[in-house]
Amino acid sequence: MRRRGVGGVAAINKSKLAKAKFAEKGTEIAETQVSQMSQQLEEFRTKLSDFAAKHRNEIRKNPQFRNHFQQMCARIGVDPLASSKGFWAELLNVGDFYYELGVQVIEVCMATRPRNGGIIPLEELRVRLTKAHGKTREDVTVDDLSRAIKKLSTLGNGFKVIAVGSQRLVQSVPVELSMDNTAVLQSAMDTGYASIKTLCDEFQWPTDRARRSLEQLIKEGMVWIDSQNASEDLYWFPGLFNNEK
Amino acid sequence: MTTAKQLANFQWPWQYDFPPFFTIQPNVETQTKQIQAWCELVLDYQKHIKSYAIDVQESLSSPLFHNAKIKRKLPIDGVYLVLNALKDKGLLEWQDKKMSRALLMWRSAEEWAKLIFNWAERSGMTNTVCTLYELQLGNDVKKEEFYEIETWVLKRALRVLEKKGKAVMFDIQPNDNDNSGGVKFLS
Repeated sequence: MRRRGVGGVAAINKSKLAKAKFAEKGTEIAETQVSQMSQQLEEFRTKLSDFAAKHRNEIRKNPQFRNHFQQMCARIGVDPLASSKGFWAELLNVGDFYYELGVQVIEVCMATRPRNGGIIPLEELRVRLTKAHGKTREDVTVDDLSRAIKKLSTLGNGFKVIAVGSQRLVQSVPVELSMDNTAVLQSAMDTGYASIKTLCDEFQWPTDRARRSLEQLIKEGMVWIDSQNASEDLYWFPGLFNNEK
Repeated sequence: MTTAKQLANFQWPWQYDFPPFFTIQPNVETQTKQIQAWCELVLDYQKHIKSYAIDVQESLSSPLFHNAKIKRKLPIDGVYLVLNALKDKGLLEWQDKKMSRALLMWRSAEEWAKLIFNWAERSGMTNTVCTLYELQLGNDVKKEEFYEIETWVLKRALRVLEKKGKAVMFDIQPNDNDNSGGVKFLS
């Protein structure tokens, strides 16, 4: 009877040897890959560092460039803003940019809070910041501001960007705005005011619901009531009121 | 009477065009802010039209409390809230019990007193006698902020200095608007 290949002691030994050889080769290949990879990573680090050093001023000055840079970092899974002391922040020195911006955002919000009760359109914040800092802050985009404000939220509650319809507002007081409050803001976005009637019409709310939400906002000091309007009382957000309109 | 021309270059605060500024606010904190802003506006306005007197009835229809452009008026209770807040700051004195007329200083008597005394020290006028008239209209004070100061305001300022022992007044008449008499500043 003819025996098939497997089974003999020699065959077993041979197969063991082959396995060991494969494993050896595998380790070898993995090692090369790791070393290649770390070499690549090293190279990448140097390049990115060179790039950042070379374009640091550009990153700080040119908003478009900054945006592209942010996107590039996001794509390769790097957050240069994770911490100002972090490796990337130190390497790239862009963390400071947003920290400085954050401080300026706080300044503007504090200065305008007596007037607006802690609600300011993101675009108005940008304009005020640009005016206040003259030439050095010419090119700050709302995107930069959103990033800076996001970082401020680590300081605790208070600063956040809220989306109202298609526009964005910055809230600088630690008030938890309800969905209804935000809806009132949305209704007042263009005119600066809301009323019980417009809210009921716009959102199909019963009168009580509209009144409750408005009274809450008055209590928080965000809304002023105007009782001299001919048809009904108007509820104004000073933060959304614009004289120039 | 205040004319439109007089107000042509007056800088109204942003609140003046903000309709709810003319409704007294129910939220206490907001109301405090509101009254404070009204106080500042009244003082700036009076300073601009160079008036030291305010008549409540007249003021109700003046541009100060009535913004015709946005059709808003501060109601009379609001006007009294504002004027009494100014009284609490020591900047307003009612002229009658009914509170229909008041005298208004856009700078407190203490502040005027300080300005006048600083001038006296600076120009070596201490320990000599000046007439009230000299302090109001003299050549030496032409460049001072208190030049052309109203007599009653000047008298209140000098009384402050007298109380502090920094001045002595002579031959002062009880009538608020009589500027006869003099004062000696003490170094």
